[in-house]
Amino acid sequence: MSASDHGRWSDELAAYALGALERDEADAFERHLAGCERCREELRWLQPAVQTLPESVERTEPPPQLRESLMAAVRAEARQARERTEPAAPRRSRGWLLKPAAGLAVVALLVAGAVGYEVGKDGAGNGGGTTVERQVGGIDVKMVQEGNSGTLQLAGVPQLPPDKVLEAWVEREGKVEAVPALFVPDRHGKAEARIADMSDVSTVMVTEEPRGGSDQPTGEPIVAMAVPQ
Amino acid sequence: MAVRREKAERLADEELMPLVGRKDPEAFEVLYDRHGGAAYSLAYRIVGDRAAAEEVTQEAFISVWRSGARFDAARGSVRSWLLSVVRNRAIDFLRSRAAKAPKLDFDDESALEQRPAEERTEEEALRRETAAELRGALGKLPDPQAKVIELAYFGGFSHSEIARILGLPMGTVKGRMRLGLEKIRGEMAEGLA
Repeated sequence: MSASDHGRWSDELAAYALGALERDEADAFERHLAGCERCREELRWLQPAVQTLPESVERTEPPPQLRESLMAAVRAEARQARERTEPAAPRRSRGWLLKPAAGLAVVALLVAGAVGYEVGKDGAGNGGGTTVERQVGGIDVKMVQEGNSGTLQLAGVPQLPPDKVLEAWVEREGKVEAVPALFVPDRHGKAEARIADMSDVSTVMVTEEPRGGSDQPTGEPIVAMAVPQ
Repeated sequence: MAVRREKAERLADEELMPLVGRKDPEAFEVLYDRHGGAAYSLAYRIVGDRAAAEEVTQEAFISVWRSGARFDAARGSVRSWLLSVVRNRAIDFLRSRAAKAPKLDFDDESALEQRPAEERTEEEALRRETAAELRGALGKLPDPQAKVIELAYFGGFSHSEIARILGLPMGTVKGRMRLGLEKIRGEMAEGLA
């Protein structure tokens, strides 16, 4: 990289740190940043200045009901998470309590899908393919496996906020891997993801992730389904 | 199993986050008690009314609760991360409110906050800027630098929008952002020396 190239991007640095670049500009800057140690160093230097900005705001006391409603919601979710995971653990010991790959959060993989149940299985149709259907948390899940690939079909998926996408994951030999499949439900709540390599996959999962996807699941799966071996 | 509240209170933020990731309400409650005030103040500063600030703060903390595993200690403190979540939610809220709003007369003061970014005017920018109480590090900057940083960070405007609002070349806006941040950073470094 030339000095002038660095200089051009260096002008963008403060705007980037302040979140003031347009999305395409920010994407381009991040691509440059990945290969420019000088920019990374300058950004590290400027970042604390941005972090002081929220601290400069005049303090306004939050209303007490905010804490109350927040904690009520959190306690309810914690209770539901316990109820979902604890009773199901013994009968789904294989494939549900997952060993995460390095850096993956175990909590994200304590599977909400344990409430699912199998409603159909076709081991003979589709030219030797396998179809497994389940209903998981109100979502109809159909996993069609043909040869080494598969298609995950969902119906009844709630609409997502505009900054969210669905991301598919597989558990393979005890490790969780991202599938290069980001997708969103259509207006009828249907969504589909293709999984190119189903070899040795024991579980397929879907989580809600920020637009652009994540390197690891950031929340509990909305769908998790064991795959027949 | 949830840790007891007293035990959670003795933990550093960075030690609380793994517990939050494991859905421990006590750890989360301590996190809120430590940073909820700053979070709400920031949200209020950006969205400008209490009900909206409450909604934004609640959404931000719920997203932290649901995705606590996303916190990366290598990239900064829990507080900075949390406040950046609040800031992003608040800016999203402003934009979504602007997008949903019907087109109104420009002389309708109440409509100013509701306009899409491209329709926001210099009038609005000046109102926001003059209404803002610039304190701390930002308050020590020369006005032109403080103004562009203010509009970017608290207003959610892009550099090109700010250039249009203030009638300045984009290069000038970016230059002022850079100068302003460097000045704040320099003062922080001096303070530590």
